[in-house]
Amino acid sequence: MNERVAVVGYKQTKHTFDSPVARERMIYELVKSLFKDLGITRDDIDTFIFASNDFTDGRTISEVYTVPRIGSFMKDETKVEADGLSAALYAYMRILSGLYETALVIGFSMAGSEFRVPLTQAYSLDPVYERPRGIINYYSTSALQASAYMKKYKFTEEDLARLTVKNLQNANNNPYAARKEPTASVEDVLNSKPLYLPIRQAHVSAYADGACAVILSSKKAAKKFTDKPVWIDGVGHFMDTYYIGDRDLLAMEHLSAAAKKAYKMAGIKNPKKEIDLAELHTNFASEEPVFAEAMGLFKPGSGKDVVKNGESGIDGAMPVNPSGGPIGANPINATGLIRLAEASEQLRKEAGKNKVKGAKTAVVHAQDGPGAQLNTVFVVRR
Amino acid sequence: MKRNVAIISVGYNGRFVSKRPDINIPELIQPAVDNAIGKTKLKHDQIDAYVVGNMHTFEGINQPHLWASDHFGGSKKPVMRIATGGSTGASVYQAAYYHVASGLYDVVMAIGWEKHDEGDAQVGLMGILLPEAFSMFNFGPDMSEDRGIAGLGGGGSTGGAAFQAMSYLTKAHAGIEHIDRVAAMMRSNAAKNPYAHLQQPGCTEADIAKTPIISYPLRYGHTCPTSCGAIAMILVSEEKAKKFGITDRVAWVKGLGSGASDATTGNIIEGQITDPAEQYMCKVVSKKVYSMAGIKDPRKDIQVAEVYSGFSHQDLMWPERLGLVDEGKSPQMLDNGSFAIDGELPLNPSGGVTSTNAIGASAMVRVGEAALQVMGLAEGGHQVQRKIENVVAHGWGGLFQFVTVTVLGRTPVKK
Amino acid sequence: MTQETRIIENTWDLTAYQWKIESDALDLYVKGLKDKKILGRKCHKCGTVYVPGPTYCRKCFIDIDKVVEVAQEGVLDAFTVNIADVKGNLIEHPYITCTVKLDGTHSFLMGILEGWTDWRSVKEGMRIKVVWKDVTQGALADLSHFQLI
Ligand SMILES: [Zn+2]
Repeated sequence: MNERVAVVGYKQTKHTFDSPVARERMIYELVKSLFKDLGITRDDIDTFIFASNDFTDGRTISEVYTVPRIGSFMKDETKVEADGLSAALYAYMRILSGLYETALVIGFSMAGSEFRVPLTQAYSLDPVYERPRGIINYYSTSALQASAYMKKYKFTEEDLARLTVKNLQNANNNPYAARKEPTASVEDVLNSKPLYLPIRQAHVSAYADGACAVILSSKKAAKKFTDKPVWIDGVGHFMDTYYIGDRDLLAMEHLSAAAKKAYKMAGIKNPKKEIDLAELHTNFASEEPVFAEAMGLFKPGSGKDVVKNGESGIDGAMPVNPSGGPIGANPINATGLIRLAEASEQLRKEAGKNKVKGAKTAVVHAQDGPGAQLNTVFVVRR
Repeated sequence: MKRNVAIISVGYNGRFVSKRPDINIPELIQPAVDNAIGKTKLKHDQIDAYVVGNMHTFEGINQPHLWASDHFGGSKKPVMRIATGGSTGASVYQAAYYHVASGLYDVVMAIGWEKHDEGDAQVGLMGILLPEAFSMFNFGPDMSEDRGIAGLGGGGSTGGAAFQAMSYLTKAHAGIEHIDRVAAMMRSNAAKNPYAHLQQPGCTEADIAKTPIISYPLRYGHTCPTSCGAIAMILVSEEKAKKFGITDRVAWVKGLGSGASDATTGNIIEGQITDPAEQYMCKVVSKKVYSMAGIKDPRKDIQVAEVYSGFSHQDLMWPERLGLVDEGKSPQMLDNGSFAIDGELPLNPSGGVTSTNAIGASAMVRVGEAALQVMGLAEGGHQVQRKIENVVAHGWGGLFQFVTVTVLGRTPVKK
Repeated sequence: MTQETRIIENTWDLTAYQWKIESDALDLYVKGLKDKKILGRKCHKCGTVYVPGPTYCRKCFIDIDKVVEVAQEGVLDAFTVNIADVKGNLIEHPYITCTVKLDGTHSFLMGILEGWTDWRSVKEGMRIKVVWKDVTQGALADLSHFQLI
């Protein structure tokens, strides 16, 4: 068995709302340039793992034509049908087992231009009671969560707008983000189109065309790729019950459980102190305080103060989504993997304008399902 | 040092059938889970994590494990979803293996299922080609009625399989009668498996030969049914197996691997470079798996094979590509009775995929049946009576491109 | 206990997608067809000749841009005899769909096979040649069929 696994390479596309190239070209160019950056060939990768979904690809067995496009032609390949961070988790397991030394993980979708996201999301709802009624969906679930949080902790629409603007500004400084609204103000967010109140258009993540590739390696093989490995020191993933009425949307116990498991593995006792930044997979801006608190990064219900004091800003005590997060780009299937790439970049001190000073330990999160039913958490260290 | 992993239980929801209008997907999965757990002394909450999968476009429900989580026990537990076409079930099982082999979990459940009555499998399969086929219209294809794009693309899965069958027959100097014969053998094997879908006791070559040709050399009788069913397996670490006091009636995972080549049929967009009947990846992966399992000569050391054959000619092709039989010698093995349940190399005692095909389950059923053979627990007369040391299970999927191979054995590989 | 079942009708609406398809390989291929030429791309590293030719090599994982014209003769690789139409009804005149490998190429082309009277006498490995439509216009249909030599 291998004892430690590292992120040794990562790259994401410049995400867009209407990619000029097809998905095949997009992922081929991405992986090719990642190989070039690292000075490796496809023979240096032992196993390839896709994160994609037949519904987002609009094809049955969506990897049929993409296999040769990431260098996995005539190689060991498999597919996780969930967010890319789940695929990274699987790659991590494969390397830990000692049967593989290196793995390439890729997540991608054309969520910006090829399909309507709410439609593919609707296909994952209970087809008997929920899909035909159209009341419960990913938007309304998160709206229920947001309004519960706002009511309980006196988190105002204005606080939510401020938080959105923080992320938009971060996204504006992120060269990969699709959504660029440099002048967006709190007023603009407050006046944006209401969807499922309190959720407005401006709070919705930027569904985009894009991809992200990450290379993981055992400690033994890491030197071949980089002298700046980012170690995966803790992982956890948990699923919640399906029906919204059975869930505690505020406590997010399954997310807490995933985070606690990852912290324990990484030997973290006090996440507030020991973690330097968080990259969270939020489909809506309103999820940020709920997730961050469930993960023990802030005191429960402190969202209002966090926003007021800028604690989650780049220079704050606990920067959350310094990349701008999915508010800047949410290419479904890649989004969680992008969080891992962004966190790795921060820890390697290679982040550009959004650099978090002195970051040594980061927590990374990804979700799947309505109201973040399935959550994956990684703790990474430089 | 590798961590040894064992399959300790295999459960089905019941017999595979063509229609289950009385239940939905979660209700299809639950009995398989209960069945697998019920065969052990474990309780539901002792399962550390779940790995699940099906071909969700066939039923039109995206990521149904979200909706089904309460029914299989996934709520408040780690769950991962894997899907790789026909090989889905085996890919799910392999992921479950790595959950344990990584040291992260000790007791993991793998679940594969399909509920074909809720969708149209042919439409689902056409979905593989759809965008690419649509794009052909921009390049002026021949649209004459009988030779249109369906002929070019291969028309679902059968068209491409017919190329492969023809190519195989030529290479093996065999005839359509061999395909009829092996198809008949599988249906009669299925009659001895209480869970199999198409059970035809005493099915003969002549019975199959009566069925109409779909695309020569493939007949209706050479194709698989579309079934509804679910399978669940429990995988544990060696330490846990010892702790539970169950190390005799278990199947040890000795070797496993997967591989992908390019889409073999229908890749009209950029040309295809592998021969449909060559299945080079199957040779590569099985060699790797045998060496991991410490098997020097698969012909001697493997006693039973469960192969994934959506079409009957593949029941002849795979044993050769898996190195169990010399190239081109399967028809001979069939004719001299070697592939029978009481033969030298029993092939698909379960009746195989041509008798039962719930796609997301099928490749896991191969592994599950291999495990049951090793444990000596195959029911209803399809248990091989010879002493079994190792069994190989094979999975296949995509557009003739994905392959998975596993060797299970009575004793774990020495560390 | 009563068991009630309801069937919920719904479809996977594939028309909801607007796919982007990469067409480098086919663009080149149909361009050649207009001049009764078969064009592909050759990998400068491993020598693999792809028809239609994508702009990258699957084996080497590198960009390739060398356009090559390939032979119009080759061998029959695999075939199937179409006895019924896509709906399963028997058709009057069976026809053969085949894959061929043109000389010097490494990928297969799919098409219709002519030049036989009894399909039972058709065997893999037989020599074939390309037959063109009289008038070509830069479309897939320009290549009429493959003929046994
Ligand atoms: Zn090459």
